[in-house]
Amino acid sequence: MTSVNYHHWRILLTALLLCILAGCGPNKVIVQGNFPPPLIEPLPLTLGVWFGDDFRQHEFFDGTKSRNESSWVVNTGAAQVQMWNNLLAGMFEQIVVLDSPPKAGRSSPIVDAVLIPHVEELQYAIPAHTQIKVYEIWMRYRFELVTIGGQPIAEWAMSSYGKTPTAFLQSDQEAVNLAAVMALRDAGANFVGRFSQIPTVRGLLLDSGALTDAIDP
Amino acid sequence: MNMPFFRTLAVCAGLSLTTACVTSTVDEMTFNEPTEGIGDSSVVILGRRHSSDYETEPDFVACVGDHITSHDESIRIIDELEFLNALYPWFEPRTAPLYPKNIEQLLQQKPVAEKMLALKLEYLIWLDGSTVRTEGAGSMACSLNGCFGFGTWGHDANYEAAIWDFTDQAEVGQVNTSASGQSYMPAVIIPIPIIAPVQGAACDGIGDQLLEFLSSEY
Repeated sequence: MTSVNYHHWRILLTALLLCILAGCGPNKVIVQGNFPPPLIEPLPLTLGVWFGDDFRQHEFFDGTKSRNESSWVVNTGAAQVQMWNNLLAGMFEQIVVLDSPPKAGRSSPIVDAVLIPHVEELQYAIPAHTQIKVYEIWMRYRFELVTIGGQPIAEWAMSSYGKTPTAFLQSDQEAVNLAAVMALRDAGANFVGRFSQIPTVRGLLLDSGALTDAIDP
Repeated sequence: MNMPFFRTLAVCAGLSLTTACVTSTVDEMTFNEPTEGIGDSSVVILGRRHSSDYETEPDFVACVGDHITSHDESIRIIDELEFLNALYPWFEPRTAPLYPKNIEQLLQQKPVAEKMLALKLEYLIWLDGSTVRTEGAGSMACSLNGCFGFGTWGHDANYEAAIWDFTDQAEVGQVNTSASGQSYMPAVIIPIPIIAPVQGAACDGIGDQLLEFLSSEY
């Protein structure tokens, strides 16, 4: 009987120790959200898209500390890929997700252009920083539009912003996740509005005869 | 033996019965009310979220919708998130129309016009505002023996509803509501929160006026 009790206490203490140790590590948030397809007439183009490793595995943490010392690690990579896949699939007649980057001499698959998104910068603010009860995330993207052979067609930057208020029974993790989802949705909205306004892209759309059907808000 | 039981019962009864007072005012101005109600058309209530320092709380938007449908089940209110997803990206904070005249431009997008027709959308109601915590005072100390002290804080709610007629592409009404109240938390061993339901009062105030506009029964 005594040995059984001792065994139970040992398990309990180990569990307690693990809980305490887990509490010392950074809060990790893997961004998850709902990213609907855009409600627009698709552009009559076949677009290739290449998500680099930096993009697929994108994460951010407190910039003043190392990754392990940071109290926050927010992983946006999977959500980025999900959002851009949904957005581009609804925005273009056909998209082809490439398994390797465009490069000189490459000729397949046959696409009108290849889009390569990059997250250049990300900043965040939580109520502890700003005294305002709002969680905020800013992102700055850089887009490259190239041929399948790697020849540049256009390059432009774009920003996005998401915020969410503090709410009763909402944890910091949930609030940061929601702010990141809002920032991703805003990125999609901004991209839809701006894509056909980029001068070289506009030229490409005119050449392909797609401009009359193009979204032109 | 019965003393702890009665003490717990008294505390629970106190908790359920004590709410602090709220003062609220509502201003309303509407035109072209649908005297026969809105029939099988639908309404969507959306929160404005383009300001940098606040945003209309999604639960407040849901509260106003619930208030309307709980009093008149014939009014079909489209869920905010369902509408935002169905119309993505045209009602995001960056792209949402700011004036009724922008609806025409939006409807030039063929898929948007088709979706609006399928939803039978008649009225779009924008809610703009927020509830903020104001001054607080008092102090409380807690130990293993319980909590002792007193705390008080206030809340102010200010919201404005703008009613857009989607068919006529015009604003047909505005409702403003403001509410404020002071919450208290005395603590003698157990803290007893006496909360002022400020946001709830604002929700009821704005919900009643919207119900009067939309329903043929009110």
